Amino acid sequence: MNTQQLIDNLGAVLRTQISRAKEIQQLPAEVLLRRPAADQWNAVEVFEHLNLSSGIYAKGLQQVFAKRASTLKPNGEFHPGLLGNYFTKSMLPKPGGRIAWRMKTMKMFDPARNHGASSESIARFITLCETLLQLLQQARTTDLNAMKVTSSLGPIIRFKAGDAFRFPVAHQQRHFLQIERLVKG
Amino acid sequence: MELVRRTLERYVPLDQSDWERIAPYWTEHAFSRGASVCAVGQVEQRFYIVKSGVQRLSFPHDGEDLCVGFAYDGSWSGEYASFVTRKPARFDVVAITDSVLVGIDHEALQRLYNEMPVMERFGRLILEELLVGRSTREIEQLSLSAEERFDRLVARSPHLLQLVSQKDIASYLRMTPETFSRLRRKRS
Repeated sequence: MNTQQLIDNLGAVLRTQISRAKEIQQLPAEVLLRRPAADQWNAVEVFEHLNLSSGIYAKGLQQVFAKRASTLKPNGEFHPGLLGNYFTKSMLPKPGGRIAWRMKTMKMFDPARNHGASSESIARFITLCETLLQLLQQARTTDLNAMKVTSSLGPIIRFKAGDAFRFPVAHQQRHFLQIERLVKG
Repeated sequence: MELVRRTLERYVPLDQSDWERIAPYWTEHAFSRGASVCAVGQVEQRFYIVKSGVQRLSFPHDGEDLCVGFAYDGSWSGEYASFVTRKPARFDVVAITDSVLVGIDHEALQRLYNEMPVMERFGRLILEELLVGRSTREIEQLSLSAEERFDRLVARSPHLLQLVSQKDIASYLRMTPETFSRLRRKRS
């Protein structure tokens, strides 16, 4: 796929998510805490889950970019990795907003097993998306095939830098459907 | 916001123009159960009034969380000492149920204290209240038996028994969960 186009597309999704998150931030606290059932997440917990998961990629990308991005020749093509592509596609909502399959959250990405979630989680999510946007700008002049980032699926699975952008953005898209359902009530 | 006005008016009278100066500084914050409101080592940024939910104030000691208090509907919340001194908090404040807190940040409250005598009076009155509460609890801790401490709590805050885990209440009363559960059975 064309690298510049990929960056444009991911950037557009992130900007939409940022502006929607800013609107959601303004909703009454009771709405942000609303749960469909006692054992299900509310909106701030979904945002915190995204912070925990996408944060892994932002950190990984920052590290590898700092070390290598400027040493690589720009590459106009990005070839998704086998696993990176597979997991990204499995995250993306199907047409009509359907979720392909539900999955169980790993403990390390469960807000309740970390430091919990609050209104602050939405603010941190916005900052995180802005970080990803900045990294996407740097990505225009480097090679997203050559750098690798440890995935959120465990240290044995490493994604190409391009997939390390695609996966968290797709994962966020998936969870935005959930957030919209939660705040609509 | 009605909650803030009602709460302040328990201490001082406010007319409409007072309220219009005060109101914009208060903001609502959602804390999911388990979320940290303020953690040991952080500087508390806000002074809160509880709109809903329960928070636990505790400090880590010898690998245990010693529970020193609870905040619930209509009471104050946050790590007040850190808020006032701007020094790192010594207590953990955790939302033990989903909580909505309405808070004002330090700079804003200082400005209101400086600009509005009625707010400075409010500040003095809550401090007096906190101090009296503190010394009452100190006396209870030092002079009452476990059984008497239990009875005081039931008389003063019976709803806590429904809102808070037995383990936290036992820790708050400085007794083992076993003693607590024995007293509870004896009383019911």
